[in-house]
Amino acid sequence: MKEVIDINNVSKYFGKFKALDSVNLRVMRGQKVVICGPSGSGKSTLVRCINRLEEHDEGDIKVLGNFLTNDRLCLDSIKSKVSMVFQQFNLFPHLSVIENLTLGPIKALGISKKEAMKRALYFLERVKIPEQAFKKPNLLSGGQQQRVAIARALCLEPEIMLFDEPTSALDPEMIAEVLEVILDLANDGITMVVVTHEMGFAKKAADKIIFMDEGKILEENIPSNFFKNPKTHRSKKFLDQVLNH
Amino acid sequence: MIKLKYILALFFIFSFVGCSGNSGNWGWYVIDPTTKSGLANIKFLVGGFGATILLSLIAALISIILGLIVALPSFSNNVFFRSLNRIYVEFIRAIPLLPMLFWVFYGLPVIFQSLGLKIQIDAFWGAVITLAISDSAFTAEIYRAGIQSISKGQREAAQTIGLTQYQAMRYVILPQAIRRILPPLANQFIYIVKMSAFASVIGMQELTRRANEIVVTEYRPLEIYTLLILEYLILVLVISFGVRWLERKLGSDESNSN
Ligand SMILES: Nc1ncnc2c1ncn2[C@@H]1O[C@H](COP(=O)(O)OP(=O)(O)OP(=O)(O)O)[C@@H](O)[C@H]1O
Ligand SMILES: [Mg+2]
Repeated sequence: MKEVIDINNVSKYFGKFKALDSVNLRVMRGQKVVICGPSGSGKSTLVRCINRLEEHDEGDIKVLGNFLTNDRLCLDSIKSKVSMVFQQFNLFPHLSVIENLTLGPIKALGISKKEAMKRALYFLERVKIPEQAFKKPNLLSGGQQQRVAIARALCLEPEIMLFDEPTSALDPEMIAEVLEVILDLANDGITMVVVTHEMGFAKKAADKIIFMDEGKILEENIPSNFFKNPKTHRSKKFLDQVLNH
Repeated sequence: MIKLKYILALFFIFSFVGCSGNSGNWGWYVIDPTTKSGLANIKFLVGGFGATILLSLIAALISIILGLIVALPSFSNNVFFRSLNRIYVEFIRAIPLLPMLFWVFYGLPVIFQSLGLKIQIDAFWGAVITLAISDSAFTAEIYRAGIQSISKGQREAAQTIGLTQYQAMRYVILPQAIRRILPPLANQFIYIVKMSAFASVIGMQELTRRANEIVVTEYRPLEIYTLLILEYLILVLVISFGVRWLERKLGSDESNSN
């Protein structure tokens, strides 16, 4: 197997505050990695460093064979191969669902409008909302909006999908429909890094679980071991809180 | 339009009180359209509308473009460019309009002359330049606020679907920001219309200047300035009405399904 993400000794500061502290992480092609940990532990910061929404200060990150620097060429070569789904959906409210989906392929990948439409309708089908194609996003439920956001990311046919708490902004009854879509993708073989507190999802989908606290990776484990006997006192405490609530 | 009725009613009450109580105070005859001289006066006064509107429109147009140019550096990551924007905005906003008008009308030609340039600035263009520059500091701030009001998440989402900075601006940020920029920009036009009255002091034949001229010959300041205020009132109300319409239209676009 080939590694698609290689994070080496990465630290990140916000002013004096150390949000990431010597993080090491490798993700192989096709792997599903779930990141969990208490609020403020640096989970978002870590995934945002992978697609350079944040710049790391120390160490290096290699994505699809390229070191992440501010070099335009390097950024161009990974952009659109690494897609992201946000907690707050971040759909474009002035565009219809289908326009949200085709904008990236047309402008960034340069494919024809017709081809982009075809692709968009295919992925809308996959996230099970083809009938919403011509509505504005704000007319959709939260769960539907997040599924549009997932389809929008898929339309770029990325090699890596990043999810930052994709279900945390959703009402309980909508969490399942979104997780189901993500699980379906997981079975597809795409590389995924998912920040989530949904431990049921982690059990079913993850090849490996990362537990973070205070900017550090405290534990890296396979799900069955992580849930049965967590290695650290911290991860045990965290699991107790998440599972019993 | 309730507002208009209300204010007009106030004026009439005022005039009746004036007539019955102390008939020497009011002399509506100067603008009585049934008399020949009154009609001529009205025609002369109302004739200033064209100049006021033209002056304001051209100044607003220049201000809209200039404001955008002034606002652009404020989106830069470079501190130097950002401070250029701040300096311009703070400096221009600090200058009162009248001194700036004098500077442009009487001062600028001296500079041109010493540079050997044969550029004349007449009252019209002096007023246009002054109003446009003065207003551009405000329009620049409107652009800046409008664009910054679009959440960081939108920019990030644009980035993660592979758009360049320019494409993100063009297809994601600006189309949303424009809905928040247009209404205050149109409101700013009201400011220009009112400030255009200052052009009267450098001899521009607009509404206020014409009123002043009639006052000097007729010596009826109360009636003529009352009419002058009504003229501005009508102009401003028409513009506000347009702004409301624009706001409603943009607002309903945002929530419409298709
Ligand atoms: N742009 C920023 N500026 C300053 N501090 C920041 C910034 N972004 C994150 N931080 C800080 O860095 C730390 C890690 O934040 P991060 O968002 O990565 O945590 P998280 O694990 O994703 O938490 P949550 O579960 O609440 O989303 C937090 O203490 C946060 O306050
Ligand atoms: Mg987070």
